[in-house]
Amino acid sequence: MPDSDRDSIFGRIRESLATASQQAPYPEYEDEVATAKRRFRDGDTLWETFATNFSAVNGRPMTELAEVIDFLKSEGATVGYCDPTLEESIGRVCQENAFEIHCHFERERFDDYQFGITRASAAIAETGTLVLTDSDTSDRLGALTPWIHIAVLPESRLVSSVAQAIAGFGRESNIIWATGPSKTADVEGILIEGVHGPGEQICLKTAGLQ
Amino acid sequence: MASPLQPIDDYARTLAPETRAAVIKSAAFTSGQRIEVLRRDYEDPDALRKLARKIKQHTIDRLDHYLEQAESRLKAAGAQVHFATDGPSACRQVLKILQEHGVTRLVKSKSMATEEIHLNPFLEKHGIESIETDLGEFIVQIDDDHPSHIVRPIIHKNRRQVAESLERHGLGAYDDDPKTITRRARVHLREKYMQSGAGITGGNFVSAESGRMVLVTNEGNARFSMAPNKVHIAVIGIEKLVPRDRDLAVFLSLLARSATAQQITVYTQFINGPRSANQPSGPEHMHVVFLDNGRSQVLGGECREILRCIRCGACQNVCPVYRQASGHAYRAVYGGPIGAVLSPLIGDSISFSNYGDLPRASSLCGACREVCPVDIPIPDLLLKLRHGAKKAKLPSPGSPPMGPFADLATSPKLWRTSMTASRAMNYLPLQFAPVKPLRDWLDQRTLPKWRGGEFRRWLKQRPSPVEDQKKHA
Amino acid sequence: MAAPEHRPSSREVLFMMTCLCDAFYADVAKAAVQVLEHAGCQVSVPPDQTCCGQPPFNGGDFEVSRKVARHTAAVFAGERPIIVPSGSCAAMHFHGNALQFEAQPDREGVDSLGKRTWEIFDFLVHGLGLMSWPGVLPPRRIAIHHSCHTRGTHTGGAIRTLLGSIEGVELIEFGQDEQCCGFGGTFSVSFPHISAGMGTLKLDHILDAKPDLLVSGDMSCLMHLNGLATKQGREIPHRHAVEILAESLDRA
Repeated sequence: MPDSDRDSIFGRIRESLATASQQAPYPEYEDEVATAKRRFRDGDTLWETFATNFSAVNGRPMTELAEVIDFLKSEGATVGYCDPTLEESIGRVCQENAFEIHCHFERERFDDYQFGITRASAAIAETGTLVLTDSDTSDRLGALTPWIHIAVLPESRLVSSVAQAIAGFGRESNIIWATGPSKTADVEGILIEGVHGPGEQICLKTAGLQ
Repeated sequence: MASPLQPIDDYARTLAPETRAAVIKSAAFTSGQRIEVLRRDYEDPDALRKLARKIKQHTIDRLDHYLEQAESRLKAAGAQVHFATDGPSACRQVLKILQEHGVTRLVKSKSMATEEIHLNPFLEKHGIESIETDLGEFIVQIDDDHPSHIVRPIIHKNRRQVAESLERHGLGAYDDDPKTITRRARVHLREKYMQSGAGITGGNFVSAESGRMVLVTNEGNARFSMAPNKVHIAVIGIEKLVPRDRDLAVFLSLLARSATAQQITVYTQFINGPRSANQPSGPEHMHVVFLDNGRSQVLGGECREILRCIRCGACQNVCPVYRQASGHAYRAVYGGPIGAVLSPLIGDSISFSNYGDLPRASSLCGACREVCPVDIPIPDLLLKLRHGAKKAKLPSPGSPPMGPFADLATSPKLWRTSMTASRAMNYLPLQFAPVKPLRDWLDQRTLPKWRGGEFRRWLKQRPSPVEDQKKHA
Repeated sequence: MAAPEHRPSSREVLFMMTCLCDAFYADVAKAAVQVLEHAGCQVSVPPDQTCCGQPPFNGGDFEVSRKVARHTAAVFAGERPIIVPSGSCAAMHFHGNALQFEAQPDREGVDSLGKRTWEIFDFLVHGLGLMSWPGVLPPRRIAIHHSCHTRGTHTGGAIRTLLGSIEGVELIEFGQDEQCCGFGGTFSVSFPHISAGMGTLKLDHILDAKPDLLVSGDMSCLMHLNGLATKQGREIPHRHAVEILAESLDRA
């Protein structure tokens, strides 16, 4: 029956459109029309703008690995998942600091990982948004199930606006934008963080290209 | 005997005061935040919604073209595309997909399209457990209740009621701290995500250019419904299209600000196929079910502009009738101004007679149009629907017949005489009138003193430059 | 619902009193005539006028409301601007009629009505270019309720401009001022409980701001709000905005 459903839907749409007196044209507009320019302060670098807007949604922008380590300790975290390609640079330092690091995400142990370290493909300064993609994320679950997610962002991947991030989609078929920790206001409109996704969202800026 | 009151007014009359208070408080708060964030971020927020209106109107004016394009792009990216003319067909197709993959339990991310087709009860009947994962939808499901708001399903419940629901469902002893409530749901649902065979979602937009469907959630439940599962099914209304990826910048900016006063929703996903080859987690199979359910008919009618709607709920929040009556008063899946237009139009052929009274539940104050991110002239559409209901002779309790009024208003002499004569009304005990709505009206209000014709007499008597009066007299 | 652009702004005007002023609020209509005359207008009041047709229109009874609109269009035929002391009736002329005559062969006549109709404050400020109003009033805190039919028009700003320019007037704000008073014509009859709930909430917000006087450009809202307030034992002094202008003239 599905094919007949398709035919009848298109048939009805065309029938309905035939009765319309006019057709609205696609409007011309600038790509950046929806960019909230007021969220950029004069003189700020892209990172500074990102950090301000990311902090505004309770994300934690960090520039040193030591900051991340200190935060994980202060949260009492001991076990984490780490993208294998970050094992050399970041995983090792974590291990030196007595964290238990796993570079393979075991589904059965999903509740054991208190933090996850994966790569961000880009970030958007305008909204304080991290861009995660299937290509750059070693395991979707590693970026999602732990309470703390650390996205490692090469500074060169920062873009200024939502419009620019969309322009850079390329052929990527699974893109996730994460703007701060997971949240809800379902109960009496009171904001609570950490519903299903991470309750803490960290962005660690790195200088290197990936 | 039919109630002498409009069903929605009757519902509002008996609504629990604490429910009304919860709805008013949340709705008013979100309305205030919405306008604040728009004004803070944009010099001319109105220009942006006018643009969104144009893009969306263009899209629905060429819906056949864009739907076909989206279908072919999705297929090229490895997704399977299905079409469903109505709810039963959509349910059957979803069931078939699930059966083919041997799925007996699934997790669901909040979706109005699946509410519209009553997917959950259907799946349950066929032995498939479907678990709602949005916190509000989860509460609604364990309470055997229905969402009363597009964006905030449990806007009608306060924290005590939610805490009681969790307790009844065995999720710990009573504790009404929203943080505890959220943590308990988190722990409970994490297991469910990991033990399911499929994730079902709706879709907020589909870009025809790339086939990318966009999903937004704040909680991350759409992400979690997909990441551990092999099968992803998205049920999406055929009107959810936008022509190009670039248009999404406009709509995402407006949707988040209009719905929840955020610059952008926490999680925004752009998906046009199964997981990538290198990715160990995520669906291997992506199915998109495009749902018509009356939309293609609406497209040919005088209310076609309603198809621009992006389901932000701003019209519900700002609507004074919605605030007084709550979403459930509208009886249908969609409540508030959007529901008053949509409910009589979509679904099957009896929707119009079932929900033909909803368009009357508005003072036509126009607040909904003012906040609509795609500038839908909702009050105009309500009027057109009222006209339709009148022509279809649907009953309308509490609405006096207007024929005699027209006779009076087109006979100036009679009009002037009755203006003066009606001063007798000042002496009538109208509160005992044999018309219930009028009695109810006067129960709570006084009428000013009738002074009919006084201005006209003043005009005649004054030695002034007012002409015409004499000329015509 | 934006008011049309390029409406005639000659000082020879037709005055539409509205059925509400015809029946209940003679003082408002008198004040409007006095104010217009003070602004140098020659005011004509066609005696055959009745109603704009809004009650049946809002009920979806377009067949009936079109009859009334046709009558009104005939009574107000000509070139002169039509001035109304009500944003609601004005909107019926330029917005409601456009809707109900969309596919009617005789829409031209009612179109002319809409193209010449001004809400009175809109006319004073944007038609005649007045930016202030003479006179002095005893010190008063005034809350302005903007009627829903003036959303998107210039009426709200015009009322503020003129009232705010009178010495002694202090315009005060109140909460959720975009909310409807709950009247909506026949709506308040068909939905008496919801309507009363809306009005009560509105009154709460207005009274919280402790105004000396509640003012609006539409008597229908004031009639409803005061009707509720009286029943609730919290009457509030209320006037049409044009009455404030007239009072200020008396004291000038």
